[in-house]
Amino acid sequence: MSIRSQLLKGILEGCILAVVERQTVYGYELSLKLQDYGLSVSEGSIYPILLRLQKEKLIRGEMKKSSTGPNRKYYYLTDEGAEALDDFKVNWEGLKAPVDRLLHKEG
Amino acid sequence: MNAEELIQINNEKRKELTKENKEYYEDMLVYVRLSYDKSEQETEEILTELLDHLVEAQEEGTTAKDVFGQEPKKYADEIIGELPKMVTKERMQYFAMGVLYFLASIAFLNGIIKLFSYYVLDIEPLTETYYLGSLAFKTLLKIVVAFVLLYFVVKYIRWSSFKRINKVAEFLLSGLIGIIAMGVFMLVIFVTPDFGPTVQISFYVTLLLGIVLFFVARRVRKINS
Repeated sequence: MSIRSQLLKGILEGCILAVVERQTVYGYELSLKLQDYGLSVSEGSIYPILLRLQKEKLIRGEMKKSSTGPNRKYYYLTDEGAEALDDFKVNWEGLKAPVDRLLHKEG
Repeated sequence: MNAEELIQINNEKRKELTKENKEYYEDMLVYVRLSYDKSEQETEEILTELLDHLVEAQEEGTTAKDVFGQEPKKYADEIIGELPKMVTKERMQYFAMGVLYFLASIAFLNGIIKLFSYYVLDIEPLTETYYLGSLAFKTLLKIVVAFVLLYFVVKYIRWSSFKRINKVAEFLLSGLIGIIAMGVFMLVIFVTPDFGPTVQISFYVTLLLGIVLFFVARRVRKINS
């Protein structure tokens, strides 16, 4: 696995939790939302993560009728998911500043 | 929505895919479905999601390769790796269902063939004497052989999922294996000596037993949902 995809995996999990916290989404919608925020990941890569997040009970999926007609699986954040998102935010804040400093101010 | 309904919807929706996308998706579908120890419900749900995504992407002019990557097998393995396992209860139900369907077809076919021989060909009596000991032994052996065969068929289909294999070679090979398997079946049945207490059973009873077993097997599957 490349450094980029290793880095992305954990971050993407946090980002997916953040999107789901704002609104319930189905898979395709989620991939569009991530792209809107400028996260250029391959679309399919969200599905293994969605499965893992469900297994860890951080999100739950529910089959529902969508506005356009067909049944879709919508994802909701669980209480555990909300906690995990808070943890992610704290960890991210703790990492972001030092990494930025290291990359930009040194050398 | 249960797994059965999802499969039906999937069959319909797949028709919307272009030839290239369909081939890619169906390879993944077969491969993921045959990862037999995964929860059926979860498996069908993710397959539905992937298909929905592909249909939408296709409308935007994106291909399956763009969405899921250049290596479908690798992607499918990643999905399978995250799917929850089948629970023991579900496993037992599947096993029981398989055995019951198998026994139902043996009893039913046996009944039909023997009735045909009696009424049309006039070569066999209407009732047969069964030795319970050897009957139980042969039946058990048949179940084992059937499962071993099934195991290898599944293995083969999974292995061949992402390859374009010569249809003629595949046909000849599967024919050969089928003949060998039948041969083993026949051999076992011929060499097993008669033992145990005997019962006289009419072939109408055998036929009826087959039908009853078929409905029991169907019920076992329904309990699932």
